[in-house]
Amino acid sequence: MAERPEDLNLPNAVITRIIKEALPDGVNISKEARSAISRAASVFVLYATSCANNFAMKGKRKTLNASDVLSAMEEMEFQRFVTPLKEALEAYRREQKGKKEASEQKKKDKDKKTDSEEQDKSREEDDEDEERLDEEEQNEEEEVDN
Amino acid sequence: MAAAAAGSGTPREEEAPGGEAAATQAQAPTTAPGARLSRLPLARVKALVKADPDVTLAGQEAIFILARAAELFVETIAKDAYCCAQQGKRKTLQRRDLDNAIEAVDEFAFLEGTLD
Repeated sequence: MAERPEDLNLPNAVITRIIKEALPDGVNISKEARSAISRAASVFVLYATSCANNFAMKGKRKTLNASDVLSAMEEMEFQRFVTPLKEALEAYRREQKGKKEASEQKKKDKDKKTDSEEQDKSREEDDEDEERLDEEEQNEEEEVDN
Repeated sequence: MAAAAAGSGTPREEEAPGGEAAATQAQAPTTAPGARLSRLPLARVKALVKADPDVTLAGQEAIFILARAAELFVETIAKDAYCCAQQGKRKTLQRRDLDNAIEAVDEFAFLEGTLD
């Protein structure tokens, strides 16, 4: 499966959706234009990666990090992306943190209680289980104190 | 004036936890609300990043930001191309609108010759 990097396209459906949401209602896009944009997006990622990698190497790091990518955006003259990207990064970090804490919490619950299955069900149903959610919050506080 | 509670009959997109799978194709099914921080599948973006022989490793955050940046890029280039189509009073974006945008906008110079 030796594919050229430019052939690694991003999913058409997602690209189409992004385009349609960016444009006013009623505007269409031809198949050729859409696939050209998809290609352009791949090239963009490759180019940004290369730029970001330069920054990583300058910092004598082997792993690309978020700030390398942000520096790459500025280098590529896409400064206008920097602010929305920073905001997205903050949101992403918060979400990752939340996920991590949630899965750690789950593990500990499984060890402690046999009622964990009921608690999982109640988490999915937002309607009736405010009381149980309060219990969970209390549990979280206890954990933090520890 | 009672403030209308969210979800009182108006079906908003982000309401159902993990219910809709419309746009999130290859992404892992997350149930966290508002988890659609990026619509492009991170796995594919990662594949592109790894295609660069000079890149050793890329952190998860870097992949995520690249995905988001690619989305912003798609929006940007679509809008710029649309300006050209508008001048021609057309309502369908054509390939040539894209080519014009690439020629006209300095930031898109890196795309020249790559889309064939």
